[in-house]
Amino acid sequence: MSGKTDKASFLKKLYSRDVHISRLLIMLAAVLIVMLLLKPEKFYSIANFKTMAAQFPEFGIMALGIMLCMITGGIDLSVVGVANFTAISSGVVLKSMVDSNGNLLGYGIMATLLFGIMIGAATGFINGLLVSKIQIPPILATLGSYELFTGIGIILTKGKAIADLPLEYSELITAKLLGAIPVQLIIFVLMACLIAFLLARTTYGTRIYMLGTNITAARFSGLKTGSLLIRTYALSGICAALGGLVMLANYNSARADYGTVYTLQCVLIVVLGGVNPNGGHGRISGVVLAILVLQMLSSGLNFFPQISNFYKSLIWGSVLLIVMVMNYSTENKSAKRVKAA
Amino acid sequence: MKKLLALVMVLAMVFAAVACAGAPAADDQDFEIVVVPKDATNPWFVRMETGVKEFAQESGLNVYQKGPSETDATMQAQVIQDLIAAKVDAICVVPVDPGALEPVLKEAMDAGIVVVAHEGASLENCDYDIEAFSNEQYGAFIMDNLAEAMGEEGLYTTMVGHVTNASHNEWADGGVAHQQKTYPNMTLLAEEPRVESEDNGDVAYQKAKELLKKYPELKGIMGTSSFDAPAIARAIEELGLKGKVFTSGTGMPAANAELLKSGAVNSLTLWDPALAGKAMCAMAVKLLKGEKIENGCDLGVEGYTDLKFKAGSDKVLEGKGWIVITAENVDSFGF
Repeated sequence: MSGKTDKASFLKKLYSRDVHISRLLIMLAAVLIVMLLLKPEKFYSIANFKTMAAQFPEFGIMALGIMLCMITGGIDLSVVGVANFTAISSGVVLKSMVDSNGNLLGYGIMATLLFGIMIGAATGFINGLLVSKIQIPPILATLGSYELFTGIGIILTKGKAIADLPLEYSELITAKLLGAIPVQLIIFVLMACLIAFLLARTTYGTRIYMLGTNITAARFSGLKTGSLLIRTYALSGICAALGGLVMLANYNSARADYGTVYTLQCVLIVVLGGVNPNGGHGRISGVVLAILVLQMLSSGLNFFPQISNFYKSLIWGSVLLIVMVMNYSTENKSAKRVKAA
Repeated sequence: MKKLLALVMVLAMVFAAVACAGAPAADDQDFEIVVVPKDATNPWFVRMETGVKEFAQESGLNVYQKGPSETDATMQAQVIQDLIAAKVDAICVVPVDPGALEPVLKEAMDAGIVVVAHEGASLENCDYDIEAFSNEQYGAFIMDNLAEAMGEEGLYTTMVGHVTNASHNEWADGGVAHQQKTYPNMTLLAEEPRVESEDNGDVAYQKAKELLKKYPELKGIMGTSSFDAPAIARAIEELGLKGKVFTSGTGMPAANAELLKSGAVNSLTLWDPALAGKAMCAMAVKLLKGEKIENGCDLGVEGYTDLKFKAGSDKVLEGKGWIVITAENVDSFGF
């Protein structure tokens, strides 16, 4: 045996250990290399990396929630509605937390954050009930609740933006720790770690994978599928709420129609990250990688004046379809292999 | 593995193809000025882009338009964040939602980037905001057009989107004030001096029909929302009152070409986004060169040669950038 074939088979093994992750790593490398060749001075600047790190958390956190729902074989399309509803109601709460001199009360920010998270959990709970108890298909249930939450947001604000918030809140969340690490990123990392822990180290994690693989089998083996689904959607609601709280800080205002494009973008991320839309499969590392790839592609495109953002939807759509086709063909291959064996 | 390679190559080709397509000798750039519209595909902003491109050609500077793919405040903020990271010299923006952009624009200004806005009079974090006109004078301009059609005499009323819409009502107020000063033979319908169209063509059409039946002596209706005048014209045409009742007001060219050509409405009023785009770029260049902006400032763009500060503001500048659209010039705008 020559060393060369050894190396090749080693690479092949590494690649096939997790096809989705390997593919994403290669895509990430491709984007990085293309940017290095075409726009090195603009892309590889500290300012750009800081900007990107502050941009992706708001939709990245929402994508984590969708991932959880997709692992159970469902989906949560209401995340943007929940995020805006949370941002609007938290904005109202924040505005009420000032003393007579117009200064924010000491516990104001903490109280607002807790309030927002509770709103998220409550909205997620409603989604969970609709899906598990009333058994509405998740796509319809969450699309409906998206309209509902957006509608409540429009009524609360009369279609206008909630603005003139106490600046302290926005300053805290958009601050850079040690002058470099955006607080939004820290919120994202904490949430990602929490979910990674839940999925890998708790029975809850194991159970939702089982549930997603085969809900009937899960029910017959004694899992309380209803409570599992409600907990999952509530967690997704909390993720969406955190996304909303970050948006509230980023734009120092809230409105019922902020970030409407995030719904599709989050679904794209989750599928790109290798989560099976039929449930049962998916790793958080894939989703995080997908978020990074998409953010770099998106920021990278903005450095080319010649590429109108008009093409962005086109590029997103094609990437999504290409990935689905590739996933389909790898799954077919492994299915064939199973049959042959 | 092959598929992967193909994917990587496609990605690389997309980038390379577009990167090579443009950028003819962009090296002698002095200033990089970027116009950020509300979205990239709306015909209004496509028209703005033609103005921006013209400015780039005339000035030889690196000036281009870069908008979000959809009208979305968050997307627009991200485009601006990326431009800040790319260290452009000036950002000209037509905000989707001025409030949502304040933090990002503050970041831009802190980074030493010149910020010029259009239709964002409430913005705090910008160097200057250019408005095509003062609302009062635009109202007077609509009135001039209406008076001309009515032969400067007769009963008229005004229509606004909502009585709560600030700019519509300022236009209407400006129009009425101008009539009282200049056209003594015209009178405002006292029973219903301000009708609401709810910014909706169908409502405007119904309201116009009602008005014309209720008040047969009514001779003119001044429209403000871009739905008003075209819908009133439709009502006039349908009731067979063409040549007896007249209207004028804001309207988009392409959508109303037929109405103009049929003579149901003599003239519509508007401001040209291409000129507004040019004016923003010209202002950015002035600021980058360190020139002082004073009352009466001349940007060298039609309608923006004598900018005046809005009363009580040292940021909002108003031009005389209105245009009149008639059957003759309606096809020349492309939007």
